[in-house]
Amino acid sequence: MVFFLIASGSTFLVGVIKNAGSNVFLTNLLFASVVMWLTVLISIVSMRLFTEEVRSGTIEMLMTAPVTETEVVLGKYAGAVTFVLVIVAPAIANIFALAALNPSIGKIDEGAVVGGCIITFLVIAFCMSMGLLVSLMTKNQIAAAITCLCLIWIMLFLGNIVSAFPFMPAKLVAYLSVLAHVDEFSRGSIDSRPVILYLSGSAFMLFTAVRVLESKRWK
Amino acid sequence: MIKVENLTRRFGRTLAIDNLSFEVKQGEIVGFLGPNGAGKTTTMRILSCFLPATGGKVTIGGFDVFADSLEVRRRIGYLPENVPLYTDMRVKEYLNYRAVLKGLSGKKKKQRVKEMLETCGLEEVSGSVIGRLSKGYKQRLGLADSLVHEPELLILDEPTIGLDPNQIRHIRNLIKSLAHHHTVLLSSHILPEVEMICERVLIINRGRIVASDTPGNLVGLMRGAPRTIAEINGPVEKVREGLLKIRGIISVIHESDGDWGRYLCDCEKDADVRPEIFAMASSCKWIMRELVLEKRNLEDVFVEVTTEEKEL
Repeated sequence: MVFFLIASGSTFLVGVIKNAGSNVFLTNLLFASVVMWLTVLISIVSMRLFTEEVRSGTIEMLMTAPVTETEVVLGKYAGAVTFVLVIVAPAIANIFALAALNPSIGKIDEGAVVGGCIITFLVIAFCMSMGLLVSLMTKNQIAAAITCLCLIWIMLFLGNIVSAFPFMPAKLVAYLSVLAHVDEFSRGSIDSRPVILYLSGSAFMLFTAVRVLESKRWK
Repeated sequence: MIKVENLTRRFGRTLAIDNLSFEVKQGEIVGFLGPNGAGKTTTMRILSCFLPATGGKVTIGGFDVFADSLEVRRRIGYLPENVPLYTDMRVKEYLNYRAVLKGLSGKKKKQRVKEMLETCGLEEVSGSVIGRLSKGYKQRLGLADSLVHEPELLILDEPTIGLDPNQIRHIRNLIKSLAHHHTVLLSSHILPEVEMICERVLIINRGRIVASDTPGNLVGLMRGAPRTIAEINGPVEKVREGLLKIRGIISVIHESDGDWGRYLCDCEKDADVRPEIFAMASSCKWIMRELVLEKRNLEDVFVEVTTEEKEL
């Protein structure tokens, strides 16, 4: 937690100093730095979810208790998301700390902060569901963390990757790019399409995870 | 309570369980024996709904372990062999968590957790982190966990492994006290213990049942009668002749021990030749210092059925 706060805080500060004088939104810088470090945090938190249970054998205790696969997956997911939210929440306060220390910044746009919080939550929800699925499908924690981190970074920079191919439609790029969403939301403009994308994406990942866990009973 | 019909389980090409069938009645304490790799743990895992079977049908309390797995899991308490626990949690915290997972709540949960801490002797460590506990405590915590929701059937995979003699006695009494209200299926390598606790013994080898009966009957079914050993101080040949004249003695093996001769007499089934041997020795004025009927025990049965694959 401390590590995350220091990392995201200093990234934010470096961003602020670098962009001093230009008219970049402070909220943009804040949430970009938070989401950057979130990728690492989520990979680390999600890697243990199932691999550790399998390695230590506690999965045997868990799956012989009268709980359904759906309950196990949702329980683990809810726990992991809550854990990450608790760690991330104080980082949002950085912007208010900065404003309090530097009177020249003036008023913070609350709408933009709310928008940033929403997109942060959506990114956490989606990436965690992906991490959970990866953890369920790998045997080794490190492998799970690396796979998860790679997938999240591909998503993050999907916009940049896709735009390298000129034949891809620009609209699709805009629809899929996580960084573009973070940018947009933390300016205060909330779009319903990314919300639906992330929520349905998470639901799909969790559904797949339940099926994968069920299939383990068949083997 | 447990009904296993033609259960088969393959791991790739290896056949772990081969057409296994047995039944366990309500309230019975059944010992499940077999050499390492015989398929005990696999069978227990299938019974506890952790592994699916390749073929055959298993029902517990009338519910199929595959189709009604949730109903089955509500009714069983399972203690795996290596007792996997969350090592970062504290003892009481863990028991509370498991109790909730098994559907207990409110006052009932509080009361059961307290009872379990008492019965399994975990009160003094209830606040300790599980990872720092000794093997014995972990074992007892695992047992407390498997009992916390008062299951109808207890499946225990080597429950007394790693315990000291006092703790073993304690756990043994605990299991015995569960009889009649609960059904218990336990595996163990400690045969005297099985002989003491269990009303019935199932011995499996290479995935098949090779013996199933009460420990007493199994011992009775052993080939040949017990051997009688006599230590007599006298002329070897004369003693041997004398012994062979006694009705019931088939053969005599002599081992010398200084002036003393140790005579191992293989007898006919159900023959007790001790009075005749004593009478002979005293009439010939030979001095005798030992006369015992060597009792066959479960260990002999185990060795015999699992090495020769002889069906009893």
